[in-house]
Amino acid sequence: MTAKNIDLSVDFAGLKFKNPFLLSSSPVSNSAEMVAQSFEAGWGGVVYKTLASGRWPIVHPSPRMNPYHHGSTKMVGLQNVEQISDRSLKDNLLDILYLKKNYPDHPIVASIMGFSTEDWQYVAKAAEDNGADMLELNFSCPHMTIEGSGHKVGQAFALLEGFTEAVKKVVKIPVMAKMTPNITDITEPAVFAKKGGADAISAVNTFRGISEIGRDDWIPKPNIFGVGAESGYSGPAVKPIALHFIADMAKCKDLGLPLSGIGGIETWVDVLEYLLVGATTIQVTTGIIHYGYRIVEDMAEGLRDYMASKGINKVADLIGKALPNLQETDHFDLERQGRAEYNYDICIGCGQCYIVCNDAAGQALEWEAEKRRPKLIEDKCLSCMVCSFVCPVPGLITFKEMPKRWQRKETAVMDPSLVKELKYQRFEEVDLKR
Amino acid sequence: MSYAEHFQEMEKGIGFAHAIAEADRCLLCYDAPCSKACPAETDPAAFIRKLRLRNITGAIRTIKENNILGGACGVLCPTSKLCEKECSATGISRPIEIGNIQRFLVEYGWQIGFKVFEKPEARKEKVAVIGSGPAGLSCAAELAKEGYQVTVFAERSEPGGVIRFGVPAYRFDKRFLKNELQDLYELGVGFQCNTKIEGKVGAEKLLSEGYKAVFLSPGLWGAQRLIPGAENIRGVFTSGDFLVALREERFEELGKQINGKTVAVIGGGSVAMDCVESANKLGAKDVYLVYRRSFAQMPAEEDERLEALRLGVHFLVLNQPVDYLTDSSGKVSALKLIRTQLAEPDASDRRKPVEIKGSEWELQIDFVVEAIGQKPDETVDWSPAVKLDKKGLIVADPVTSQASGKLIFAGGDIVRGPALVVEAVQDGKVAARAIAKALSRS
Repeated sequence: MTAKNIDLSVDFAGLKFKNPFLLSSSPVSNSAEMVAQSFEAGWGGVVYKTLASGRWPIVHPSPRMNPYHHGSTKMVGLQNVEQISDRSLKDNLLDILYLKKNYPDHPIVASIMGFSTEDWQYVAKAAEDNGADMLELNFSCPHMTIEGSGHKVGQAFALLEGFTEAVKKVVKIPVMAKMTPNITDITEPAVFAKKGGADAISAVNTFRGISEIGRDDWIPKPNIFGVGAESGYSGPAVKPIALHFIADMAKCKDLGLPLSGIGGIETWVDVLEYLLVGATTIQVTTGIIHYGYRIVEDMAEGLRDYMASKGINKVADLIGKALPNLQETDHFDLERQGRAEYNYDICIGCGQCYIVCNDAAGQALEWEAEKRRPKLIEDKCLSCMVCSFVCPVPGLITFKEMPKRWQRKETAVMDPSLVKELKYQRFEEVDLKR
Repeated sequence: MSYAEHFQEMEKGIGFAHAIAEADRCLLCYDAPCSKACPAETDPAAFIRKLRLRNITGAIRTIKENNILGGACGVLCPTSKLCEKECSATGISRPIEIGNIQRFLVEYGWQIGFKVFEKPEARKEKVAVIGSGPAGLSCAAELAKEGYQVTVFAERSEPGGVIRFGVPAYRFDKRFLKNELQDLYELGVGFQCNTKIEGKVGAEKLLSEGYKAVFLSPGLWGAQRLIPGAENIRGVFTSGDFLVALREERFEELGKQINGKTVAVIGGGSVAMDCVESANKLGAKDVYLVYRRSFAQMPAEEDERLEALRLGVHFLVLNQPVDYLTDSSGKVSALKLIRTQLAEPDASDRRKPVEIKGSEWELQIDFVVEAIGQKPDETVDWSPAVKLDKKGLIVADPVTSQASGKLIFAGGDIVRGPALVVEAVQDGKVAARAIAKALSRS
């Protein structure tokens, strides 16, 4: 199978997308001009930036965003106080009509937000009548400056269900509800959305976060003229948590709706992981804010080549494929044990493994100072594998399963002679070996 | 004609983002080899870790508390032969730019106004430091940190010695030195410039005037000459005279002799490379580097040699200069050379040049710089207060750096012969410790 035969198209809530890569509702999908550029670059569809009726004026705070850098790696996270679209509904609808006319094979999902039942219905109808192929209900913006909106709705399940139902009453196009992660169990609001008639779920919106605090003025950033606020945090740093939300919904038997995964996606590997835990489409903003629309080329090419290498020719064959392997921790086979295995031949002698093993693990390494090499005391290794995480040489430290008869040495008591001197408080001793 | 612009400032160091990227690349080794490779006990493993963990002021403190000339060493040190040579990151890509990070941190400290030192409680004992180069400055700072009253005697108009007057400004400039000296001023070190201490008499006079100890670090300001009497030929400079003239900004005087003319620099060390580059910047028509061995045997760093080649310097290797020819006015007009061939290695482990009989020839030149070795200034006699070896270098105790029963200590090039800035810094530190120990006993 060659990469050329790979079909990246997906069916999602009754719509066909030429690939699963969508812009999410955000500054990257603010106007037809921008969305058109993204389609030219290869994006399969768009969730157009959230439309509102215009009855409540939308004013953006300034400045709007703040990065979370880690070392010399830029923007592993991004915090924003971006509001929904501040353009007029009419301008946005004209832009959607333009996109429909010029890119008929690219579905347009209109994100919408209302501030009352009637308001939700008004915007929903306007979007449907002007070319939107699908709606995404924004129940999840964590920093709306208008009271009683955004993720406050996503946290009030009855409200969420009610608004979904109200929208469904007035439109025929499919409706997707966008979930907030600022909640304990995401399957609860998702099931309420389903009860309200939602055809799909997108998740997650941004996390409430504090990316940075000014060191001279103690004002959290972005610093809006002396005031900071907990607001939407996104980017690669949140991806592991977002993946868990998708997996939870994918595994939820009461839900059973198609999912659109969002959170920290930059590469085809990220996309693959979202697909494997159950997403059918994925949405991106922070990755585009960091690199531009061009990243879709590498998502598509990388995913195609991967699929070709695995002999998989359609995306649907990847969706949810990791879920059977995702269990609660009580399913682990604790009889099977292993340890770290070192290939000393390729070691460059930095000794980071030795530091972490001594300060944070099983103290299973010795240091041969002359040779500048670690030496593993095999039966002390806890197999936490942190040594391999800090090792700069790929493949030097690997995990090796040990035979059943292999025994790990217990951590020694620092000074057993104290047993005689110590007066234990009464407690019931448990036999650890039982 | 303005040459000044070529001799004002050195290249900028790396910036914040570059330094952070390098710190991120650092493997933060256990028992870090870089930290064992510095002659002056610099601990790059500590200051890079501190930078990585955003303890930037701590990183600056780590550098400066150990080495008062931490910035200068960051600029001037041949790091590829010292700390960076040992860097473990070489095993996966290339060494961390330790020298660049060090310079960045020191300059960053100046930029944010971070002060490493607090003025210590004063002691009453006075110490004299003779010579204001790296060894002297280092010794003075260490003693001042302990509260001693230190006066540094500098022969020239400003302190700094070789790093002020012996390297071209494009390698190490005045602005940088001024910033680096600031800590010494704030520690209360006194400087007495334009003061030449006349050998033994001068040193012992200082002791009689109430200085409890003397540290001798005058450096090497005398020069090996090609032939006896070379000093009387107009148009023949020693590298020392040439570089000092440049650092005294006597551009007009030099320009007149060099601009549009043919210059020969004799020698193959770092100083010779500084001289050919400077002659080039002064507008010489042709610059010849005359060296009796071949390219590979030159003591100068490879990047210095390549830079000279890139500038268009003609490398006249395997040629032994033997004499000067002069015109009727007594000015040099040609260099007499004899070709050589390399034979078996000599004591320096480099293949020895052997003259080829009958191969004498003459190179027409207008100006010569001899960069064939530095030695002690012969106009100053330190004996018999201190013992001298046959090269005229001061013999000092290798552990304490004491050079005489009286509290006279010595360090830097005057003891080691030509050496690195970082080695002189270490000598100053070692001597300061010994002086403080001796004074606390007495």
